[in-house]
Amino acid sequence: MHILRMILASFVVFVFQVILSHIISFGEASPDFVLILLIVLVMHQKPVLAIIIGFLLGFLQDLGNASYLGMNALAKSLTGYVVARYASDLLPDSSLFKGLLILVSSLAGDVILLNIMASFDQVSVLVAFFRYSLLSAVYTAVVGVIVFKVIQILPGRTVRSGVGF
Amino acid sequence: MQIISFLFDKHLEKSVLALAVSLSVFMLTLGEDSKINAAREISSVLLYLSPVQKMEEYFTDIEDLRIENLKLREAAVSLAHENERLIQFGEERNRLREMLGFRRDSFFKFMPCEVIAKSSNRFHHSVTVDRGSAEGVKAGMAVVGYMGLVGKVTQVFPFSSRILLINNKAISVSCIDKRSRIVGILNWERGNRFNLDFIGSEEDVIPGDTLLTSGLGRVLPKGFPVGTVSRVDKEKTGLSLKVSVSSTADLNTVEELFIVIGGRDWESREILDLLENIKKEEQSADKTTEGNSTDKTTEDKPADKIKE
Repeated sequence: MHILRMILASFVVFVFQVILSHIISFGEASPDFVLILLIVLVMHQKPVLAIIIGFLLGFLQDLGNASYLGMNALAKSLTGYVVARYASDLLPDSSLFKGLLILVSSLAGDVILLNIMASFDQVSVLVAFFRYSLLSAVYTAVVGVIVFKVIQILPGRTVRSGVGF
Repeated sequence: MQIISFLFDKHLEKSVLALAVSLSVFMLTLGEDSKINAAREISSVLLYLSPVQKMEEYFTDIEDLRIENLKLREAAVSLAHENERLIQFGEERNRLREMLGFRRDSFFKFMPCEVIAKSSNRFHHSVTVDRGSAEGVKAGMAVVGYMGLVGKVTQVFPFSSRILLINNKAISVSCIDKRSRIVGILNWERGNRFNLDFIGSEEDVIPGDTLLTSGLGRVLPKGFPVGTVSRVDKEKTGLSLKVSVSSTADLNTVEELFIVIGGRDWESREILDLLENIKKEEQSADKTTEGNSTDKTTEDKPADKIKE
């Protein structure tokens, strides 16, 4: 049942990512719904499963832009592992902290992506980081907080229950 | 086995992470074409396996149906407008036909008719119209077109009549010059060309004069335009004029005609009696001719040549 929910949630999130992210973008900043989904899914999961989920979500995201196939898979795998391995235990059960986690995850993932896209040219990475990543990360974190709040409000659904959304 | 056990039992997390990272890096190191092809194939498999494909087809079908529906709506609106126009044209046509059918003026009564057949004989120009004795048509009645005299009824059937056109050697029409009131006999020459005969050399007839039916023969009603004088020459004898006339009506393209069924001075019993007498004469002549020669048809007989 959890797997079905995961697939359904993934499908909805990918539709959101494709359709909504461009519509609700502010300038160069647009939310990364897939990252929010990843955080929601892998929090309180075992790191191995988090890596697989991250890899699959990233890979699916990469299919939309085949020129960088593997880029999001790499970033999301690492993000999933780190979140599952360390963040679950260290962070208190608060939407604000989860937003912070999404912010950091987004920035870290963007660093990986920008390095790959700019072929590790640090100047380009820094310029792109401050130009695109910061605002997008904040935007994603805000949307993430809202999502976590909504999940907490839903009856019988708690984030603590793993993929319980 | 020991390596596998080492990797997946003791360091499962790190092994999976390393595998994921290795796979990602491997994919990143692939060539551009390989990446695109791989992504395309994987996407097609995923889309085929997942309900996304069916949903996409469903929404595509809906989109197609929406476009088709839009086109059909446009076509329906267009056809509705066209239909409305055609209905209006039909009503207008019926109204006009009704107006023509009940057309009255102070002199004549007209019965509209349509040509349903034409004679194929080059020298015996006649047409058949869709009105007959059931509607009160009688032999001898004049037939006019929009522009003027066209011919007269020669044979009447219950629901159709044969009309002998004036561009026929069997018909002569008494005409009067509209301007100078000179009377002559109009005879067909060829095509739409006629000659106005029996015009004295001193008579006042000039090119451009309009010729009207004189009504003097009492068979054809008076006052219908017949033709226009196109040329006037003196005969060699010097006693008469050779007057060439162009018919007013285009006799080669008659389609809608009007049978003159009555008029102010024309619907009297006298004219009807005259028509009856003409008909009887024709019938007696037919019998006589049939006894002498069975080869000639009724229309070709000299007795049919009725001069006003």
